[in-house]
Amino acid sequence: MTEWEYHPAPDIDQGIVEQLQGFPRQPHMLFYAIRSLAALLLRGWMRIYHRLRIEGREHLPAEGSFVLVCNHTSHLDTLAMLCAMPLDRIHRTFPAAAADYFFSSVPRSAVSAILINALPFDRKLKGGESLRVCAELLDNPGNVLILFPEGTRTTTGELGRFRSGIGRLVVGSDVAVIPCHLEGGFRAWPKGKRIPRPRRLSLRIGEGRDYKSLDKTAESVKSVCTDLQAAVAELGSTAK
Amino acid sequence: MSISAAIGNDIYLTYFAIVAGILAFAGLVLGTLSFLGKNVAPIWATYRSWLIMAPLVLGAIFLGREVFIAGVTLLALVGFKEFARATGLYNDWWLTGLVYLSIVTLGVASTMPDPRLDHPGWYGLFTALPAYVIAAIALVPIIRNRAKGQLQQIALAIVGFLYFGWMFSHLGFLANATHAYGYLLYLILAVEINDVAAFTFGKLFGRHKLRENISPNKTIEGSLGAILVSAVIPFLLWFSFPHFEPWHLVLTGLIVGIGGQVGDLVISYIKRDIGIKDMGTVIQGHGGILDRVDSMIFVAPIFFHVIRWIHGIR
Repeated sequence: MTEWEYHPAPDIDQGIVEQLQGFPRQPHMLFYAIRSLAALLLRGWMRIYHRLRIEGREHLPAEGSFVLVCNHTSHLDTLAMLCAMPLDRIHRTFPAAAADYFFSSVPRSAVSAILINALPFDRKLKGGESLRVCAELLDNPGNVLILFPEGTRTTTGELGRFRSGIGRLVVGSDVAVIPCHLEGGFRAWPKGKRIPRPRRLSLRIGEGRDYKSLDKTAESVKSVCTDLQAAVAELGSTAK
Repeated sequence: MSISAAIGNDIYLTYFAIVAGILAFAGLVLGTLSFLGKNVAPIWATYRSWLIMAPLVLGAIFLGREVFIAGVTLLALVGFKEFARATGLYNDWWLTGLVYLSIVTLGVASTMPDPRLDHPGWYGLFTALPAYVIAAIALVPIIRNRAKGQLQQIALAIVGFLYFGWMFSHLGFLANATHAYGYLLYLILAVEINDVAAFTFGKLFGRHKLRENISPNKTIEGSLGAILVSAVIPFLLWFSFPHFEPWHLVLTGLIVGIGGQVGDLVISYIKRDIGIKDMGTVIQGHGGILDRVDSMIFVAPIFFHVIRWIHGIR
């Protein structure tokens, strides 16, 4: 008789806090249910309070992994992009979130991990390590990564310089990158304000592109960043 | 069982005092040992968890039948979840979800009255449910048109439901008994004392291993000591079930003394077969929920059916 094979959950000896703050997280039925419900409520809220309009949904690939990049004016950016994803894909859509902010306490970690499905991104010490986690995530077909290449929310409302991380992540790979632009986020919820104001939001999703023909050199990383920054800026300028 | 009944119930109040006394005494002993320079840090963690769990259990019983059954159902759900995560059954959300639903149904059957009788607790459905649930679990591979690995999947789901759900839920159903306070409080206290006695006797006199391939820390001396203590306890707590004859007390003591240790060993060989140390990390100093309620899973249904056979539960 052959022996049975057991596959215990890899995080079985971890406490709940470690499970929430670690990555990749194991699937959890209750969390999925809560997240689905939260996503539904969020869609209603964004639609009514912010009159969210989404253009270019047809540019989202139906299958395979891809990266969504967007300008970062407020926390509403992530929420608007989650609303653009089909409901059955939100459990595999991971917004990269600053670990030093979104995973700094237990309640914050719970909200980030359970409701938003955030990927803890260490933007200070172990940026390379976090990029490696992102790359592994994208190797798994069907995963979606939401990334804000500016690295932080804008304080002026203008689009900031794209950091090199996104370039290093996608240069030479066939993962599609989809530029997006959210209009109105800065007016609705500027950095430093506690509560968002009821301003209109409009999300434009651009055409996807990939950079598999480029070599992994510093120049091509730079050119990827410039290209994506220009693409996001263009989506923004045509919106006005 | 209800709040007003608990306030006027001598058995409940006596147990309240006993538990408070034991916890205070244990705290005093640990405090003294630590003052004398002994290393009791790991026992402190276990003790602190007791300080949280004891009021929760007493509180649930105080709040009445429905709350207590809901609490047991919740523990059964978490216990099954730990088993499912440990074995990998958790990756199959259909079967896991089906067992969750079935465990909730056990809770409902324990709470609602039998439609043909007027007293609470639908015993017929409670005892018949395994047939329906096993039928439903066996149907899942057919609906999904799958064969590979399905025997293991449904076997794990059935064990998960029967052992961690159905057997354990007998504790909740016991809340419907006429002597619910006496039965429940005795059972919970006696099972925990049995655990502590096995540990203490093993530490003090343990020489010979009990089952070295399953749980290397358990000893024959610890086991015999626990059976001895458990055999005496029903006589000390006779007021909990004044209608018992002496041989009922002996039987009750043996069920707890032997059954409690068997339940412990069952979880041990499951863990050892899988290759994990604890079932989870929910309770500091204890491990997962299953590491705490393992003895009760075995004792509750045997106690229930033996008592029901002798006295009926109402």
